[in-house]
Amino acid sequence: MKIVVFITQTQDTEARIKVGSSGDSIDTEGMKWIMNPYDEFAVEEAIKTKEAYGGEVILITAGPQRASQALLQGLAMGADSAVHISDEALGETVDSLVLSKLIASELGKIEGVDLIFTGMKIIDEESVQVGIQIAEELGIAHLALVSKVIDVKPDEKKLVCQKEIDGGSVSVEVSLPALITCPDAMNEPRYASVPNIMKAKRKPMKVVSLDDVDFGSLGIGRDAVGKSGAKIKTVSLEVPEVERKLRIIKGSDETTVKGDEIAESAKELVKLLRDDAKVI
Amino acid sequence: MSSEIWVVADIKADGQVRKVTFEVLSEARRKLGGSVCAVLLGSGVSDKASELAGYGAEKVYVVDNPNLKDFNPDGYVKSLCELIKKHSPAVVLSGNTAFAEDYMPRVASGVGSGLAMDCVDIGMTDDGRLKIKRYSHSSRAISTQEFSGDGSAMIATVRPNSFKEEEAAGAGQVVNEDVGVTDADIKIKVLEMKTKESDRPELTEAERVVSGGRGLGSEENFNHIYDLADLLGAAAGATRAAVDAGYCPYDMQVGQTGKAVSPILYVAVAISGSVQHFSGMGSSKVIVSINKDPEAPIFAKSDYGICGDLFQVLPPLTEELKKALSE
Repeated sequence: MKIVVFITQTQDTEARIKVGSSGDSIDTEGMKWIMNPYDEFAVEEAIKTKEAYGGEVILITAGPQRASQALLQGLAMGADSAVHISDEALGETVDSLVLSKLIASELGKIEGVDLIFTGMKIIDEESVQVGIQIAEELGIAHLALVSKVIDVKPDEKKLVCQKEIDGGSVSVEVSLPALITCPDAMNEPRYASVPNIMKAKRKPMKVVSLDDVDFGSLGIGRDAVGKSGAKIKTVSLEVPEVERKLRIIKGSDETTVKGDEIAESAKELVKLLRDDAKVI
Repeated sequence: MSSEIWVVADIKADGQVRKVTFEVLSEARRKLGGSVCAVLLGSGVSDKASELAGYGAEKVYVVDNPNLKDFNPDGYVKSLCELIKKHSPAVVLSGNTAFAEDYMPRVASGVGSGLAMDCVDIGMTDDGRLKIKRYSHSSRAISTQEFSGDGSAMIATVRPNSFKEEEAAGAGQVVNEDVGVTDADIKIKVLEMKTKESDRPELTEAERVVSGGRGLGSEENFNHIYDLADLLGAAAGATRAAVDAGYCPYDMQVGQTGKAVSPILYVAVAISGSVQHFSGMGSSKVIVSINKDPEAPIFAKSDYGICGDLFQVLPPLTEELKKALSE
């Protein structure tokens, strides 16, 4: 099995965030960059598949130089090699359509790919679309939100899995190659051991410059990478302070309600919901 | 490019039109100008056209094909791409359902369009470009974005419960389209579909949601969540921790990778309030939390709450709610 994982490096959204001076993006000064958490599930699933059926796992990303850290993490988890489309312009928000074309063009050069995994969402932009758009560019099937791979049939080039849909789930069969987007319910990503982190640095990493990309064949101009050529532009961004009423009923000792306080707290909460919030 | 604004109808497993479709039709009429039309894709769905007209659709483009069943994205991608290429609408909208997240990205690629997903506001610039607001960074930031106006259809999906639905008589002229989706177009073979029969409303479209966290402690104890939800006519949700612990199925997960909900009332029971969970419910109008930890982060983001043990608080709370609801 030849397995590719499309990963991205994202901002750590659990970190404190503030709006940058331009007013249209997050201030990245001192930002902690991490492998997109949902791509960890994708890398894990790829390695598990390789362990079961043999083959190799190749990582691919498009991003500025710092994105190589995310690739190193994936290599330390157990991937075999990586491709990095590297340009500082890719550090800005790029249209999903452009990103998917760039990734698909490099991915298309890898022969004999059977499976592509990627996280179901990129957390900083909250984008669910890039992976699926890669499948469209490559002209292969995609399965979104796969909660379980049920059966891989390498000889028949088929895959059976369970995917989540509105109000339930569905078992499906698809011919390979196919692209799968991975939610967190799928597996438990492994940690990289220290020796494997050291080994990762010696694994092959191919760096592709934007100068090497044949934009003409992708049907886009090079200016499509960057704000001037984007189909959708962010004009402003806010980090709103959520104003909540904070009317929390506590016990007399400032912790849990106890004894008679319990029934009283229930009474008071219902009164607040009815008379103050007017939601019941 | 025509001036038509398209709203693609979302159809549920039971064949009914999802409420978000009416919300988007209504908001498109209020905010976007132009001729608001609906697109109805599916198998055996033609009779829904009049419902869409009832929310102001001037035309209803219909592709009714047996290959458009089982929420299989392939046929929808082909159908919608063909329709967009043929009629060049200015804007294409739909609800942001799991299904839309599945097929709409391919449609955008197929017609070379920009795609803004899970929008919570829509409008037009003076020069006729779609303008939207959407959350990012685990819903802690909200960005205003504008399409560049390069002539390609401007495609966006809209978070359910963002807008009020409002009936309005539209002409509802039915335009039957034969896109010719064949078996060969369908790459994904559906082996088995498991949709749950539930009397509870669906999470994403419910006006009230009751969710439980890991503190519930067991699958059996989740009955407390279901009972409270049923009393309030609410949908039942859960945190990732509760789903991972096996207390309830994945389709109840609210949060960054689960469902994004925007109800009027969100009741969080034994939920500490992680960034990831807030990402999926932070836009709720009123947040109520019950947690025994006075330091739980959820309290700092709640409107109302009780610091108490859920097993002690829920019984009297249920009684009081029953009284209040029967008044």
